[in-house]
Amino acid sequence: MNPFSALTPIVLLGLTPLVLMLVISFHRSHRLAVVISLVGMALPLALLAGTATSAAPPLAPLLIIDGYALFYIGLLSTATMVVVVLSYGFLERVPGNREEFYLLLTLATFGCAVLTASNHFISFFLGLEILSVSLYGLVAYLRTTRTALESGIKYLILAAASAAFLLFGMALIYADLGTMDFTAMTSVLAAKTREPSVLLLGGFGMVIIGAGFKLAVVPFHMWAPDVYQGAPTPVTAYLTTVSKGAMVALLLRYGQYGGLLDYDSVASVLAVIAVLSMFLGNLLALLQDNLKRLLAYSSIAHLGYLLVAVIAASREGSHAVTFYLVAYFITSLGIFGIITALSDERKEADEISDYRGLFWRRPWVSGALSLMLFSLAGIPLTAGFVGKFYVLTAGVLSDLWALVILLVVSSVIGLYYYLRIIITMYLSAPEDPSSPLSATRRFSLPEGLVLAGLTVLLIWFGIYPAPLLSAIQAAVGSLA
Amino acid sequence: MLELLWLIPAFPLAGFVALTLVGSRLSRPEVAYVGAGSVGLSAVVTLLVGLSFMAAPPAGGSFVQTLWVWVDVAGFRPAFAFHLDALSLTMIFVVTFVGFLIHLYSVEYMMEEEEGYSRFFAYMNLFVCAMLTLLLADNLMLLLLGWEGVGLCSYLLIGFFYKDEANSQAASKAFIVTRVGDTAMLMALFLLFAELGTLDIQALLERAGQQFQPGSGMATAVALLLLGGAVGKSAQLPLQTWLPDAMAGPTPVSALIHAATMVTAGVYLIARTHVLFTLAPAVLTLVAVIGTLTLLMAGFAALVQSDIKRVLAYSTISQIGYMFLALGVGAWSAALFHFMIHAFFKALLFLGAGAVIMSLHHEQDMYRMGGLRRQMPFTFWCFLIGSGALAAVPVVTAGFYSKDLIIWNAYNSEIGGVWLWAGALAGALLTSVYTFRMVFLTFYREATEWVRHLMPIHEPGPCVRIPLGVLAVLSVAAGVIELPHTMGSLTLFSGFLNTALPEYHGVHASYGTELLFELLAAAASLGGIWLVWTLVMASPGSMERIAAQPWARGLERLWFSGWGFDALYDALFVKPWLWCAKVNKDDFIDFFYRAVAFITETLHFVASMTQTGAVRWYATGIAVGAVVTVGLVIIL
Repeated sequence: MNPFSALTPIVLLGLTPLVLMLVISFHRSHRLAVVISLVGMALPLALLAGTATSAAPPLAPLLIIDGYALFYIGLLSTATMVVVVLSYGFLERVPGNREEFYLLLTLATFGCAVLTASNHFISFFLGLEILSVSLYGLVAYLRTTRTALESGIKYLILAAASAAFLLFGMALIYADLGTMDFTAMTSVLAAKTREPSVLLLGGFGMVIIGAGFKLAVVPFHMWAPDVYQGAPTPVTAYLTTVSKGAMVALLLRYGQYGGLLDYDSVASVLAVIAVLSMFLGNLLALLQDNLKRLLAYSSIAHLGYLLVAVIAASREGSHAVTFYLVAYFITSLGIFGIITALSDERKEADEISDYRGLFWRRPWVSGALSLMLFSLAGIPLTAGFVGKFYVLTAGVLSDLWALVILLVVSSVIGLYYYLRIIITMYLSAPEDPSSPLSATRRFSLPEGLVLAGLTVLLIWFGIYPAPLLSAIQAAVGSLA
Repeated sequence: MLELLWLIPAFPLAGFVALTLVGSRLSRPEVAYVGAGSVGLSAVVTLLVGLSFMAAPPAGGSFVQTLWVWVDVAGFRPAFAFHLDALSLTMIFVVTFVGFLIHLYSVEYMMEEEEGYSRFFAYMNLFVCAMLTLLLADNLMLLLLGWEGVGLCSYLLIGFFYKDEANSQAASKAFIVTRVGDTAMLMALFLLFAELGTLDIQALLERAGQQFQPGSGMATAVALLLLGGAVGKSAQLPLQTWLPDAMAGPTPVSALIHAATMVTAGVYLIARTHVLFTLAPAVLTLVAVIGTLTLLMAGFAALVQSDIKRVLAYSTISQIGYMFLALGVGAWSAALFHFMIHAFFKALLFLGAGAVIMSLHHEQDMYRMGGLRRQMPFTFWCFLIGSGALAAVPVVTAGFYSKDLIIWNAYNSEIGGVWLWAGALAGALLTSVYTFRMVFLTFYREATEWVRHLMPIHEPGPCVRIPLGVLAVLSVAAGVIELPHTMGSLTLFSGFLNTALPEYHGVHASYGTELLFELLAAAASLGGIWLVWTLVMASPGSMERIAAQPWARGLERLWFSGWGFDALYDALFVKPWLWCAKVNKDDFIDFFYRAVAFITETLHFVASMTQTGAVRWYATGIAVGAVVTVGLVIIL
């Protein structure tokens, strides 16, 4: 098989923004831009079905297209399609040009795809920067509003600073190992018998900083609430799912090849970060009144849970991470989707008080939202429960008892604020009819279909996780 | 055909989902088609599956259908799997068929309610689905899902008219009392999993046979705990108090849940796990003793009730006592036989009573009825047939064959004896007395003022009459599938069930003894009817004269309240508990939880202070984090 034909999914993802750019310069049409983005994301998916079984040809030295990369590319482009559908309704309500939004969005996904397939520091950094630069634009897309600009600038400054750490860390590791190729690193590390040098460890520390910023784990988390709140809601959905998912995918691969997780000190630092993230995330969310900020904090906590499975690094750990991510994608996209779809021209539906009595006017929507929140809280018969269960299992199998217990304790704190939202929805509606205006907007057909689909998946994977699990096992199996 | 098995619980589930989602937008006939139709389809599939099961019995006498595995961790592997054998087939046949007839009846019965038509059918469908899950479950985990589902639906349906607070109270009572038993059962499950490492019923029974010594402490503990669960669900001593109050639900609910199906879950549980009970002979004897005591106790209580539905409620408790007695003496198939026949005639009686209540504008007091024989002849004949079966009128009713089998086995079995037999025989006398007291008060005598006021009273419509007719036929004819030695010795039913349950071995007393005992049972039944006739009909007023005696008044009060169990439990558990709660409301434990909440909130405010919104502060955070991270990685 021609090694370059294996690259087709990534090439297609890269072509999509180019095509969009050309089309936009000749003919501006919101609908056309959406269609092109959707097709651009769907084509690689269709191809994946054909290539998934073929052996992974090494495209030395930058990229490796194995079952693992293909699985994540499929996941990320599917999530992007959901974001595209949500963005259409959102952008229809705001003034200004809309088409460039999709340009940035597809470009960011292209960066993510490169990240998941990268086998080398160069492709790692290139992918990350393609993603980050597109995100600056996306976060500040509503450039006439103060908050969007503010969060864009914040994200730019802090991401740039952390990228500098990452780059420096890569340089240190290169200085010690003499290679930037992940596969080559494995053999170099295997040949070493002596204690790891300070250079290598320092490099690891800095890579953790770079990755930790993208994942928004404590102590690199402080940007998250401000940016989540200020960014357009579809972009927030993207930030919390696709952007983080790509980084986790890379971290797992690098952890397996680059020896990141073989050192006790690295594992201990990751454990500290995980515990801090779980507790601080949940504590910060506790009495938060803004739903988008609350979800930012909850996302910090969830990445903390995820890190437990990453530390458990065994095969079980990789399965658990991937399953958890899929469940988290479904749930987060659903919640942000509902927030987007409920907002209208006058107001974003991002205050918890907007949801008061929602059940009595929109029983279906609040039912779906309740299920999503249950899934985040890890209540059984939802995908979130199964994900959390596998994370706990991975922790227990690796004898990480302290982490597992702390995870359970902090989950209890989390339950409080998820249930608080649910209770608000089932309270009687406020007397003053003018206050919650979010409830009047009707969903468009694509929005309704996407949200219904996510809800069904949420329950489906909660009751019958076996097919998803076997797919993940096949994909993650190609990693080792 | 056997592959269709999963459809049997799936249809009612689909009905429930459909009615929940769009029920409020459907018209009443549409709701009726969905609600009754789903159970009807399920009954048809049961028939198909049952026919192919009997035509070509699968190897080993059972068919297992695994739908999917829920989770698979460290040997804990609960699957959504169904197990079909003679035992579960018998049970699901009764549940789907009688269930369908009761749904059909409800189509008309519930029509006069102003609201909640689709809610009613949604609950009923969910109930049937849960009950079928319970019966078909291949492992105890799934069985527990059905078990709890049945409990939930029972709660929802007893409290169906929730606007009246008494109904909600009755619903809560049923839920809480059965929960006591459920807790015991849950403990049994934990114990079994810890000891045997599986919850798969067949594997579990096999391992139990190998690992537990007969009569050992572990076997006894497990059997006792399971018995606790069974006693709660089946309303036996000492957890029987919820059932009479459960009559607060609509009458079809009483027929479906509290007579024909749900209360037999305990009987099913014991039969299903019979190996464990055989390993604990002491517990098995206890089952028989509980059954006998319950059937007597409930029989006496039924004698003095004035509410027609409460008579039937106590008679249900009493008849399930017979089933427990049969289980306890090892006559497994006799228990199941009585279960099936009882489902037919008890559903018939409840539905008949419902028809009467409906015609009399929700009058349930038998003393205000009377003379309905001429007003509602069809209902009268059906009710009379059902009563005959309940009172075990010899030869012509099915109830005679099933009850006589139990009475005979109570004597003839190795575990049984004269005392159990005497209790069962006395119970038979009681049964026919209270049953025909009910019949005479309701349908004979002169019409009371209230009845005359309502005249002319109409017979119910076809949706009510068809179930009544079918059940009446079954209550007469279903007995011929199992005939005693003295009457031709036909063992179709027990022969079929013996593929799933151990065969019954009697002491084989002589033919003459069996005939004598049968005659005695027949005499008890007919004697009871004669006694009531003389007291109620032949010399009116004699009952009142007896009741006026001081000793009789006390006894009546005691029996009327169901032997005072409610007051006893109130004094023994409820009041001390409330007292403790009241005294303890500011206790240390509360302080601890308040402290947890306070600390968490404080931490939240402290943590919030870090979110200043100033980008230089955030950058500082990253810088400090970076120093600490790199430092830790290198130092550690």
